[in-house]
Amino acid sequence: MAKKRNLILTVILLAGLFGLAWYINFETDSYLRRIVNLCMVYAIIGLSMNLTNGFTGQFSLGQAGFMAIGAYAVGIFTVPVSLRPSVFYAAPMHPAIADIHMPLWLALIVGGLCAALVAFLIGAPVLRLRGDYLAVATLGFSEIIRIVITNAQTITNGALGIKDIPPLNDVRYIFAFTAAVFIFITALINTSYGRAFKAIREDEIAAEAMGIDLFKHKSLAFMLSAFFAGIGGGLYAALLGTVDPKNFLFTLTYNFLLIIVLGGMGSITGSMIGSILVTAGLEFLRIFDEPLELFGVAIPLFRPGFRMVIFSVLLMALVLFWRRGIMGTREFTWDKTIAFCKNPFGIFGRKGVDKA
Amino acid sequence: MKKFFSVLLASALAVGMLSGCGGEKKDAAKSDVIKVGVFLPLTGDNAAGGELELRGIKLANKMHPEVLGKKVELVVADNKSDKAEAASVAARLIEKDKVKVIIGTYGSSLAMAAGNIVKENKVPAIGTSCTNPQVTANNDYYFRACFIDPFQGTVMANYAFKNGAKKVAIIQEVSNDYAVGLAKFFKEAFVKLTGSPDSIIEVANYQTGDKDFSAILTNIKAKNPDVIFAPGNFTESALLIKQARQLGLTVPFLGGDTWETQEFIDVGGKDVEGASLSTAFDREKASTAEAKKFLDAYVKEYKGEPSALTALAYDAYLIAIDGIKRAGTATDSVKIRDAIAQTKDLEAVTGKTTLDKNGDAIKAAVIKTVKDGKFKYTDFVDVK
Repeated sequence: MAKKRNLILTVILLAGLFGLAWYINFETDSYLRRIVNLCMVYAIIGLSMNLTNGFTGQFSLGQAGFMAIGAYAVGIFTVPVSLRPSVFYAAPMHPAIADIHMPLWLALIVGGLCAALVAFLIGAPVLRLRGDYLAVATLGFSEIIRIVITNAQTITNGALGIKDIPPLNDVRYIFAFTAAVFIFITALINTSYGRAFKAIREDEIAAEAMGIDLFKHKSLAFMLSAFFAGIGGGLYAALLGTVDPKNFLFTLTYNFLLIIVLGGMGSITGSMIGSILVTAGLEFLRIFDEPLELFGVAIPLFRPGFRMVIFSVLLMALVLFWRRGIMGTREFTWDKTIAFCKNPFGIFGRKGVDKA
Repeated sequence: MKKFFSVLLASALAVGMLSGCGGEKKDAAKSDVIKVGVFLPLTGDNAAGGELELRGIKLANKMHPEVLGKKVELVVADNKSDKAEAASVAARLIEKDKVKVIIGTYGSSLAMAAGNIVKENKVPAIGTSCTNPQVTANNDYYFRACFIDPFQGTVMANYAFKNGAKKVAIIQEVSNDYAVGLAKFFKEAFVKLTGSPDSIIEVANYQTGDKDFSAILTNIKAKNPDVIFAPGNFTESALLIKQARQLGLTVPFLGGDTWETQEFIDVGGKDVEGASLSTAFDREKASTAEAKKFLDAYVKEYKGEPSALTALAYDAYLIAIDGIKRAGTATDSVKIRDAIAQTKDLEAVTGKTTLDKNGDAIKAAVIKTVKDGKFKYTDFVDVK
């Protein structure tokens, strides 16, 4: 009964959100569309990172590299063949791929699969490491991917980057992908695989003793994470219309680390919330970049760049007071929401009990 | 504690919102201003370059505060040296601040990310120092005040040839689009000039951030070039030249306009003496009346020598204002675009500026050489 109700509510919510996406796509300006799109793309990548870091407890920092693979798949295959000579002006494209053109969705999937393949190859040696060592090794691999891209001039146009990717600014398209990724990962987390991931996160030795194949599950999580990061990277490239290797410096990974730490490691809703807070929040804080006059006196602090100071202070504060991120490992559920709606003040009471 | 903190956060946001509203109200009151959008990297990796360019634009705004009888107001926005932010901020300037012309940015990849936005919304943008040819290619709404990588590479090839070089080694910063572009066109032009593909004896690569170049240099020393062309970032280039001198490699080094910073001389010390580079601006060759005005104003405002970046940003503003003036409207962005596209012989700081059919500035280059710890003017290369 409750299950059926929840399912119906979820379907209604999804339909409502899709309607909202439709509205945003046609009725609002390109600035808002861009922010909404960016929030969703960052949420996909944040969620993909959460799968290894949050749910499986493997501290991996390779997301920028996997994104780069997906982004370049889109960059290489979706640029119209007629525009390629002007993009590859320094050295012509390799003849084997010069005439291959794909629609965006196919390029996204190809990019995702390539990223997953690379993750499989990297995973074999690297996933035997734990903790900090794994972080360093994956970071290194993501840099290797970037450097290979920089040097493969005839395939990726090297440091010059690729331009003229057909622009994608359709909120519905990106929403459909985001919804699909969220539904897939939610479903995955509730299968035996998902429970195995969580068991590995809590205690590897105990999980192994329970008969969970550590390596198989870790590489599965790692590959799926790379696959979705590749799709996210591809959407990112299509959204910007251009890619270049400098985009995918390892500092990009920290953006997503920030999103998942802020939202909550091991929370799907947390990734979405984190991504909205970081992307839309930073845009909102632009008011601090604009000059401000109070009583006819210009306040010198309000100048471009000031918002980054405010942002850092807010981040520090958030992390100090919500150590496990905004959601922790909790999720948004209909049961809790309905309980909250029935008794909005109950939440304070419960908290008191928790503390005692 | 948590609750107290939530209240604090909420009130901070509320104050922010109020100040935002206050600003908007005031703007509505003075609709007689013309807004010009400026987007530059003012934080992040490229902040130094962005800051220099902002100086130029502010200075230009001070010198030319009015067009069509209305005051020009700059709306400055930071793109955080991030491509996604560059695209969002360009959209913000267009949608929220309703600007009809945009100036920016330092960094070609940032300009390319904003390229689609200005094209979609049909608002012209004028790049300050984005030299990658792709910025204006296939985009009718992007222009630029600077010359492009191919031109600069060709200029240096001509300079090397003129000074009697027969064999050249190229060392490029392969992860830098600018360096790769320069090296490629240097190579093409030089091979054409000498008529022999063997005149480029080596093309070596290094990565941004590399510190040790001895392997590359030893290899090149064995091949005995007349000159080394090494476009790249100023820190790496200065280290490269230093290490070359330590290895006993005495041939001159040539580079591009990125070298023109005090840091290049600080890091390289006396080893970079004699290194030559091409750039857009030099005060000795400052021929236009606008350049004299700019120099005087710069010294008064900021002291010291203005960099080429500042001069280019100043020129970008002039191109924008000139476009609005000739279009006779500050509200029709398509008309402004058409006017900017026809910019011809505009009196700018870096010489008379004409935009070609791609929207790139056709202008002369200056060659400078490091002498006694200063960049000294040595040659002038006009466009043919």
